[in-house]
Amino acid sequence: MAVIEVINVEKTYNESQIKVTALKNINLTIEAGEFTAIVGPSGSGKTTLLNLLGGLDKPTSGRIRVGDVWVDTLKGSKLINFRLHHIGFVFQSYNLIPVLSAGENVELIMQLQGVPAAERRKIAYSLLEKVGLADRYKSKPSQLSGGQQQRVAVARALASKPNFILADEPTANLDGKSAENLLQMMELLNKDDGVTFIFSTHDQRVVNRAHRVVVLEDGVIKES
Amino acid sequence: MSYLKLAQRNLWRNKRRTLITISSILFAVFFAAMMRSFQLGSYSLMIDNAIGAYSGYLQIQNPDYADDPSLDNTIPQLEEITALPQKVSNVKAVVPRLETFALASTGNLTKGALVLGILPESEKNFSHPQSFLVKYRFTNQAVRNIVDNPNITEAIKSKVKILEGEMYPTEKKLADALGDEAIDTTVLNIIKRECHYNGRFISASDSEVVVSSRLAKFLNLNVGDSIILMSQGYHGSSAAGIYRVAGLVKIPNPELDNKLIYMPLSKAQDFTGCYNLVSYWAINLKNASDESLQNTQDVINNMLDSKNVTVKTWKELNRVLVQQIESDNKSGIAFLVLLYFVVFFGIFGTVIMMIYERTHEFGVLISVGMQRKKLATLVFIELIFMALIGVVIGMGVSMPIIHYYHVHPIALTGNTAKMMVDMGFEPLMPMAPFGPYLYRQAIVVLVMVVLASIYPIRRIIKINVTDAIRHR
Repeated sequence: MAVIEVINVEKTYNESQIKVTALKNINLTIEAGEFTAIVGPSGSGKTTLLNLLGGLDKPTSGRIRVGDVWVDTLKGSKLINFRLHHIGFVFQSYNLIPVLSAGENVELIMQLQGVPAAERRKIAYSLLEKVGLADRYKSKPSQLSGGQQQRVAVARALASKPNFILADEPTANLDGKSAENLLQMMELLNKDDGVTFIFSTHDQRVVNRAHRVVVLEDGVIKES
Repeated sequence: MSYLKLAQRNLWRNKRRTLITISSILFAVFFAAMMRSFQLGSYSLMIDNAIGAYSGYLQIQNPDYADDPSLDNTIPQLEEITALPQKVSNVKAVVPRLETFALASTGNLTKGALVLGILPESEKNFSHPQSFLVKYRFTNQAVRNIVDNPNITEAIKSKVKILEGEMYPTEKKLADALGDEAIDTTVLNIIKRECHYNGRFISASDSEVVVSSRLAKFLNLNVGDSIILMSQGYHGSSAAGIYRVAGLVKIPNPELDNKLIYMPLSKAQDFTGCYNLVSYWAINLKNASDESLQNTQDVINNMLDSKNVTVKTWKELNRVLVQQIESDNKSGIAFLVLLYFVVFFGIFGTVIMMIYERTHEFGVLISVGMQRKKLATLVFIELIFMALIGVVIGMGVSMPIIHYYHVHPIALTGNTAKMMVDMGFEPLMPMAPFGPYLYRQAIVVLVMVVLASIYPIRRIIKINVTDAIRHR
C-alpha cells in the first residue's frame, strides 16, 4: 500500500476577497521508502502541498490518504495525535525548542507519545548516535551549528517512528558542507532503515540525490 | 522533562520579558497592600481614638439615653454590671461614667465642655487617661529659656518658637515634634528640663479635675488654677461648682481634646445631683470583631433583661464615625479597583507580547504533535509561576514596610496635620498589622493573572498552525 495517496486535490485561498488557487488537480502517490523531492519556483505551491501532506492544512477539494487514514477528514486533537504518531517534520529553520537540550528535543516527541522516561532517553541517545551527535546530547540548540541543529531536527522527526518525514527546504539555511553531510545522513537513513523522505526544495544537490522528482509549476504537477 | 520544568526554563529564556511581567505583578501586590494597609490602619486608629480611649466597644444605657442623652435618662450603679468581667468571658473591663455638658469658665473666658465623671482607678485599665497626662509643655517661659540658651542651635530655636503652647504626654512625642534636630541627647535633656510640666491624674477621693489640653489652652488654664463649671443638674436642678485643676491631658482624638474635663464620679454625682446614678457603663472587649461584638451584646442584653437597660455597640453609638469610615472605605476600594485595572492591563500587555513573540514556536509544537490543551496548560503554568514569584516578592517587600509603619506611624505635619486635626482625627498615618487584607491583595492579583491568561489560552486553542509557523 502507498504511504501517501493524493487524489484530485485543489487548494484555494481567499486573499483580500480575491480567490488564489495554490494547487490544482494534484494527484500523487508516494510509496514506502521513497526519497522524493518536490521542486519548483517560489510560489509554485511546494510548501502548500507539504502542509497538506502533513495534515497542517486542509484541501479545498480532493482527498489525501496517509496509510489507511483519510487525513482530510481528521480534525482537532485527533489530527494532532495522528501527526504525532505518523508524520515527522523537518523545518527550514530547524525549529528546535531553545530551552531544551538536543537530547530533550528528541525526547519531547516521545514524551508527548507517552513513552516512559528511561526508554525515551535510550531511544533519544541512539537516534542522536545515528545522526552523529550522541556526544552533544546535553548541548542546547544555541551551542550547535546550523548543520548540527538540522541533524537534531531529523533525529526528532525520527523519534515518533513516522510513516514518512516531510522536510521543507532542509538545506536552505546550511552551508555547502553541512548541507552535503545532512543529505548523506538522510540518504543513509533511507537506504539502511527504509525511512521515507519527502522534500520541498530549491537546492540542486537535493534534487540530484532524490530518487524521484516532482515538479510543480503554478500549482500544477508538471512532472512526476 | 516535566511541564513544570519546561515552563520554568521557558520563563528564563527571555529574562527581560519575564522580569517585566514579574515586576508588574510585584508592584501590583506592593501598591495594593500599601494602600489597603494605610486605609485600614487609619480606620483602626480612628476607632481606637474614639472607642478605646472613650466610648468603649459596648455601652449599657437607659433605653432612652441614645435619643435624649440627658441626666434624666441615667441608670443606677448596678452590682450585676460591675461583675460583668467575671461573668462574660469576652468582657475585658467595665467602667461607669456620668456625662454632662457644662459651661467651663475661667477669668473672662468661657467654653462649652464635656464633664466626664469617672472612677479614675478603673479608668486606668480601660481608657488609660493617665497615659495622656501632659508632662511637657512649651510654656511662654520655657520657650524664652530655650531661646536664650546658647547650647541650642538656631534651627531648634525657631522650631521651639513655633511649638509655643504645645503639650506632650511623653518624651517620644516631644522628640517627634522637634524632628530630627533633637537627636542630640544633651539638647533634648535641656528642652525636657525647661518644658517639664507638673500635674497629676485625679483619684476617686479628689475634688479636683483634669482638663484636656486644647480646652486648657483656650481657657488659658494651668495646673493649680481654678475652673468654674455651670450646668443643668438632675431633673432640672441647677449645677455649679468650682474645681482646682490637678493636671492636663492630651487626648489623641482632637474633638475630645477640645472639650473634655475628667472629674471623679462621686464629685460629678454631687455636681449634678445624680446620686448613685450613671449615664452609661462603657465596656471594653477582649475580641472586638464584628461577630464577637454582636454575640457579647446579645449575652449582656439577655443577662440584664429585667433591669430596664439596653446594650449598644460602638457602631450604634458612633454612626457618624461609621459612616465616615464606610464612605472612605468605598472610595478607597474604588481607587484600589482603578489600580487593579491599570495593573491588569499592564500584565495583559506583557502576556500579549509574550504570546506574539512565541507564535512561531507554538505553531511548531502543535505541528510536531503537542496537543493545544497541553500547550495552553504549559503557558498557563508559566504565567502562574510568574504570578507566584511576583506575589511572593511583593508580599515579602510589603511586609517589613507594613510592620515598620504599623509600629512607627507616619506623623503628619504642617497644613495636612492641621486639616486632619480640624476634621477631628489624630494626625497620624499608621499601617494596619498583617491580616487577611494582605492575603486578599495577593489573591486578587493572582485572579487578575488568571483573567489575563484567558486571551492567550484562547489564542493558542484557536491558533492556525500554518500561519503560526510562518510567523516571525
